[in-house]
Amino acid sequence: MNISKNLLLSSLLVGSSLLSGDIKVGAVFDLSGGLNVYGIQQSRALHLAVDKINKNGGLNGDKVKVVEYDSQSELSKYTQFANTLIRRDKIAALFAGLTSSSREALRPLVRKAKIPYFYGSLYEGGACDKYTFVTGSTASQALKPVMKWATETYGKKIFIMAPSYNFGTISGHWVKKYAEELGAEVVGEDYLPLTLSDFSPTIQKIQRSKPDFVVALPVGTNQNGFLEQFTAAGLKKSIGVVSTNHGSGNQQIALSPQAGKGIVSGKGYFEEIDNKTNNEFKAAWNTAYGHNEPIISGAVDVWNAVNLWAMAVNKAKTSSSKEVIAALESGLSFDGPSGKVNMLPKSHHLQQNIYLAKGSNKQDFKIVRTYKNMIPEYEESKCDLIKNPTLAKHFEPKK
Amino acid sequence: MDFDYLLVVFLSSLSSASILIMATLGLSLLFGLMGIINLAHGEFIMYGAYAALTLVSVGFPYPVAILFATLFTALFGMVVEKLIIRRLYGRILYTMLATWGLSMVMYQSVVLIFGTVTPGLDFKQSNITIGDYSMSSYLLYMIPLTVLLLVGLYYLLTRSKYGIMARACIADPQTAAAMGMKTKKLNMITFSIGSGLAGFAGAIILPLVSATPNMGFAFVIKSFLTVVVAGPLALSGTAVAGSFLGFISSTTASFYSSIIGDMLFFTITILILRFYPNGISNKWRFKL
Repeated sequence: MNISKNLLLSSLLVGSSLLSGDIKVGAVFDLSGGLNVYGIQQSRALHLAVDKINKNGGLNGDKVKVVEYDSQSELSKYTQFANTLIRRDKIAALFAGLTSSSREALRPLVRKAKIPYFYGSLYEGGACDKYTFVTGSTASQALKPVMKWATETYGKKIFIMAPSYNFGTISGHWVKKYAEELGAEVVGEDYLPLTLSDFSPTIQKIQRSKPDFVVALPVGTNQNGFLEQFTAAGLKKSIGVVSTNHGSGNQQIALSPQAGKGIVSGKGYFEEIDNKTNNEFKAAWNTAYGHNEPIISGAVDVWNAVNLWAMAVNKAKTSSSKEVIAALESGLSFDGPSGKVNMLPKSHHLQQNIYLAKGSNKQDFKIVRTYKNMIPEYEESKCDLIKNPTLAKHFEPKK
Repeated sequence: MDFDYLLVVFLSSLSSASILIMATLGLSLLFGLMGIINLAHGEFIMYGAYAALTLVSVGFPYPVAILFATLFTALFGMVVEKLIIRRLYGRILYTMLATWGLSMVMYQSVVLIFGTVTPGLDFKQSNITIGDYSMSSYLLYMIPLTVLLLVGLYYLLTRSKYGIMARACIADPQTAAAMGMKTKKLNMITFSIGSGLAGFAGAIILPLVSATPNMGFAFVIKSFLTVVVAGPLALSGTAVAGSFLGFISSTTASFYSSIIGDMLFFTITILILRFYPNGISNKWRFKL
């Protein structure tokens, strides 16, 4: 008891990284507050991955230790805790963030600290930074095939419903761009605050502009109400609904069965994917945490991120940044629950499978189509961190 | 502009205002009658929703579930009054702090019991067609329901023996006690009615939103502003302020966007408070 207390004390004073052989990684996720639907599972995936690594002997003989903070669904907490992790805990890598605003707040901090940062969430795409690695799917990976499928299935008139912050508005630009490419037309759009609970005005606008399908990108629990009220108004009979984030926070469970039925979502992961790696992953998850709710894509994005980082550390034979980033840029690939993923050296994004799934009336999904090895085209075309390592930009489609 | 579109906008704006009034009544009752600012109001709404959700998922019919959810939150309010609020009467900042703390406990308790996602219910929804448009019938029911609720509360608080005594206890506690009224008990009942109303609102909106631990937050911001605009008269003030603000912001959202609707809601609130700092009902000659 005394010894461990002394150790703790001295490690606090001297900085534990000097004393122990542990490799410290930092984690900042929303374990409480409105975004905990995502944050808790992201954190669980991180711990599951780290535990597995440690059980298999660690990395180059060192154990991995997680230092974790709860960002409480508040943006200011992200930067505060990331600073603590970088300065006090001296972490070797950071795994953090859900919203695009949190990623953009963290990006400059890790850039200054020169440590690899992993962002494990689907997003609108375009982040380009030597120190940032994205494992979620982007608009050019998921939205494009979803829209192609929808224009072939429903027709060519599109209505956009999205949240009124960067994920929503930038995704809106993408919808318009892809509509143009597909010869379709955006007949109406509505960008909504996250605190809104009354969606009647949006539903009237949809009926007025008579679209063939709605691209709905509801974020947060309040915006579930949109799909509920859309269904209650009886619009599902004549108008299709497609999304690239429906289900990312288990919306299919929170919605009533009839509201979730028929909604088509395109993402990098659904629990329903049937392959050996996913079945093993699900079994490990259920042993550790039980199975109260389906595993979300954000969890798998973090799982892939930790494993890719571990592969890089093994390959570099050290956890120091420069070598690890070089290893990450050497074309690593990992067999994850959603299939094989490749870390693309140029854009620091993943080449990965995209699944198109349809909501059933049993609050789950049926996978209808698999798009194999999708490249994040836009990021690959704009972002070349090999040729231009000092590039640090968030690319957006032209308005 | 087509007539059917205007009619749909009119009706759905009325129903938005109705939902706002229902979500606000519990809060305004506690503020108007007892001078309590209940920062856990949103969580009381959420408790009502979860209570109804739990009952329906074990097989109770929805109307019964609404009734029980209301009773459950009313009872819970009673306990809260007895344990916390009773000790803090007259100290408005302390009650705010205490109810804020309570809101965090209530929020986390639901996360711990139900997890972050709870399966939504299978409600049978119907819709009506107006010209080229259709809207949810359930939204329409909200309008007469709110009117009924307001009238019922008005009678309860102005005509019933309880109502008259409850208001006497607030207006002049010492005289009321000297006349033999049990002021503590009456305050407890009033707080419990306020809580029950929040629970009722939570249960009744269940088919329109998903029950989640933070669902109350979507309602409380506008509810608090409505109470401030309404002023001291809990029923008439809330009815007028809620209909006006709710209707204007929803109509604006239909013709422009929800963001402009929200902005207008906040701007009008600021303007009204500039000219009526004590709320619009400050000088009205109604009882409530």
